[in-house]
Amino acid sequence: MIELKNINKIYEVNEQHRVEALKNIDLTVKQGEVVVLKGASGSGKSTILSLIAGLSKPTSGEVVVDSKKISKLPDNFATIYRRENIGFIFQKYNLIPTLSVSDNILLPLVPLNLDTKELDTKLNSVLEMFNIAHKKDSIVKNLSGGEQQRVAIARANINEPKIIIADEPTANLDKELSLDFIEQVNGLKKSGKTIVIATHDPLFFNLDFVDREIGVDNGEINL
Amino acid sequence: MKQYINLYLLEFAINSILRKKSKNFFIVTIFTILTFLLTSVFFITNSIKYELNSTVESLPQIIVQKLKAGRHYDIEVDRLDSILGITGVTDGVARVWGYYYFKNLGVNFSVIGIDEYEEQYKDTLSKIVEKFDSSKYSEDSMVVGQGVKDVMERSYYNDYFNFIKPDGSLKKVKLGGVFDAQTSLESNDVIVLSKDMAREIFEIDENKATDLVIKVANPKEIPTVASKIRLMFPDTRVITKDDLKISYQNIFDYKSGIFLALFVVSLFTFFIVVYDKASGLSSEEKKEIGILKAVGWTIDDVLKEKFYEAFIISFIAYILGVGISLVYVYFFQAPLLQDIFVGYSQLKTTFELPFILDIQTLFLVFFLSVPIYIFATIIPAWRVATLEADEVMR
Amino acid sequence: MILSPEVLTIFILNLIFALFGTIAFYLSVKIYFGWDLESSSKKQYKLEKQSFLTATIIKYIFAIKVPLFLFFVFTIDKISNVLTGAMCGAGVIDATSYGIYLLILKIINLYLFAYWLVLHSQDMKDEKQRFTKVKFGFFSIIFLLFISELIIESLMFGAIDVDKMVSCCGTIYSATSSSYISTIFQVKSYILLASFYGVFLLMILSYIFKNKYLYAFLNMLFIFSSLVSLIVFFGTYIYELPTHHCPFCLLQKDYYYIGYLLYTTLFLGTFYGLITGFLPSSKTIVKNNFNKSLFFNIVYVVIISLYPIVYFLKNGVWL
Repeated sequence: MIELKNINKIYEVNEQHRVEALKNIDLTVKQGEVVVLKGASGSGKSTILSLIAGLSKPTSGEVVVDSKKISKLPDNFATIYRRENIGFIFQKYNLIPTLSVSDNILLPLVPLNLDTKELDTKLNSVLEMFNIAHKKDSIVKNLSGGEQQRVAIARANINEPKIIIADEPTANLDKELSLDFIEQVNGLKKSGKTIVIATHDPLFFNLDFVDREIGVDNGEINL
Repeated sequence: MKQYINLYLLEFAINSILRKKSKNFFIVTIFTILTFLLTSVFFITNSIKYELNSTVESLPQIIVQKLKAGRHYDIEVDRLDSILGITGVTDGVARVWGYYYFKNLGVNFSVIGIDEYEEQYKDTLSKIVEKFDSSKYSEDSMVVGQGVKDVMERSYYNDYFNFIKPDGSLKKVKLGGVFDAQTSLESNDVIVLSKDMAREIFEIDENKATDLVIKVANPKEIPTVASKIRLMFPDTRVITKDDLKISYQNIFDYKSGIFLALFVVSLFTFFIVVYDKASGLSSEEKKEIGILKAVGWTIDDVLKEKFYEAFIISFIAYILGVGISLVYVYFFQAPLLQDIFVGYSQLKTTFELPFILDIQTLFLVFFLSVPIYIFATIIPAWRVATLEADEVMR
Repeated sequence: MILSPEVLTIFILNLIFALFGTIAFYLSVKIYFGWDLESSSKKQYKLEKQSFLTATIIKYIFAIKVPLFLFFVFTIDKISNVLTGAMCGAGVIDATSYGIYLLILKIINLYLFAYWLVLHSQDMKDEKQRFTKVKFGFFSIIFLLFISELIIESLMFGAIDVDKMVSCCGTIYSATSSSYISTIFQVKSYILLASFYGVFLLMILSYIFKNKYLYAFLNMLFIFSSLVSLIVFFGTYIYELPTHHCPFCLLQKDYYYIGYLLYTTLFLGTFYGLITGFLPSSKTIVKNNFNKSLFFNIVYVVIISLYPIVYFLKNGVWL
């Protein structure tokens, strides 16, 4: 379902300094798979995630998702693709602290200008699913770490994406919350989503519901 | 309509504005002040124009002045007979008037000479003739406006006044009475006395006058009569009421035009400064845009949101500026600013600015504020919107 | 030289337009020559980002241009009060040799900018972005016309002399006038009416047969026939005066500002009509444009026809 073919990604920090983030990568993820990308910071795993999400374009090579060449899409279309298909969970949640839980969750849908009823339906289903309905009007900064984590996951699911991408999701969590998160990932897998997680948290290694672990080191893949 | 305005985006924009309270508060305040100043200038000039236009209505239809070497000169009174012969002319008066400079306080009085038995060319003068006995303004006695009386009292002239004639001698004139007139703007500094006395004070010959004032039966004929008079007396300048109206409008446009030019320069500079400062984005703001793009906001969506923000801020400042200006100009009668426009005279006129609300003025101020602000935000907004999301989120 | 606040405002906004327009022009040319969607070079990414800036600038300019045009009309009307002899905008336009060219240019530019916007929205909906080069190349051309408009506008306002007498619309728009306008009065009214309604009927026919090129062409004809018939025939019924032909006096308060409504519907109708022929797009969009165009054109024809009809009903005779 997700294919990275012959990907090279070079960042030009300035005239002299070029960073080769990814060198000749080939990667395939099948539908419904849960894939963990292991690697240290700066290894290039975040870059792989942003390529899959259509957030950035490769310097050379192709990214194909569901038979669609997303690496060739103009920016607006890449974004629309992302909006419709990808749920992104960040390190540190990246919620807007002064907004309410509901507002944060609905953020991806704001530009769509949907009917209020439709929005409410989607919102409620996601609030229920991740167990934060009781806090829906609370301001995010007043929530506990675990609650914020659930808001982040809820937001990633509001658009009913096929693919969930998580970048170091447990980097700021204690063990209990991390295990909580892993549980939720399992739940997501059961509902048929394809999941790619970039992490160097050992809690993710050797889990049974994880289909594959891929090592990323210095811009290259070793399986 | 719903497809053009995204309410959720609007809500987000409002919220976003509130999240950077201090910076936005500062911008709105300065912008409001600038708009307020500009609108006040327009309101004041509009009101004065209106007031002046009402005054112009009461001015003579045609004024005939003699020019010698390009300068205004005394005109022969017997020319009046020839002019009265022109078809359409119903009446004509030879006026004797001038400005008397009172050196002590550096003020000018308008001195107007009248003859009791003549038909007055101005309503206010007729009223004076009615109200005051002719003895009050003849035989060494005069009737004055309130402002004149106040000035005289300050120089300890209570019952009489000494005019200094051109030859240096003094002419003592008693204070016969004080009048109030229709429009305070013009009568405050006026002294009314007999024509002969006026001639004496200004040393004008008996058979000469300052100018001639002509009345025409049909106002539409004024331009024709005016040109006939010009043909008859080539050395004269013939001014019609319309000429005066036009020149008033031009003066005010000129004055407010200068102010405008200065204003806009300061406005644009302000914006450049603000945006120079603000365009160094905080890492927090960059991160927020990164989040928005990552969750699916296109560049156009971000630009739209930034536009909403800019529009809301500038529009609120516009409304506030106009609102405060309304109160300042019409409720408090524009202290300070009014003086710049009302006149050079030291005799302060207490005159009330009539309430004139002109749609065109509102649009004018709108065009000078909101679009300029929005244009100033284009490049910073674009820079923000086109940040690479992934670079921002590392 | 006229230095009223309104004129100054127009100058100031024109300056801003010129500044930002030039930026957009520079970028448009760059994009036109360098655009290659297939390439993943750094240059292409930069161009992609810059295309957003250019598009935004053009959108903003147009958004302000439309109300500014109305404001321009207001200003012209207001200036007519200070110009001796002018009773409405016609006198002001006629005061300088630039006036009529400025007006025509402004209207043409409105059509062109609006067309650019439509092109742009089509382009953004296309995954292959096939119209990008075209639209920016097109803008480069429009820009030249746009700058000419700004320059001529400054020249016109600068050249207006308050002391010079100008003609009133009564003399400009009459058979005896020495300008080219007098030629339209030579044609008999019924011929003009026939062509006006005739073109309109042909438009309806081509609408029914959905022939977009014919429809667009007919709309172009319609612009001319409606303006001419308005000046020669319909105007007189609006003013209820057989000699009053002026197209500017309609915009004044005395006639309930009907001019604004008439010209707006005429513009919208013919604009949507023209683009059906010039826009390579999907069937639904063409249909939409057809409908919008026909709607506005019908509204225009109905309103304008009502004037003589109502007059006849009220008075029993024609003018």
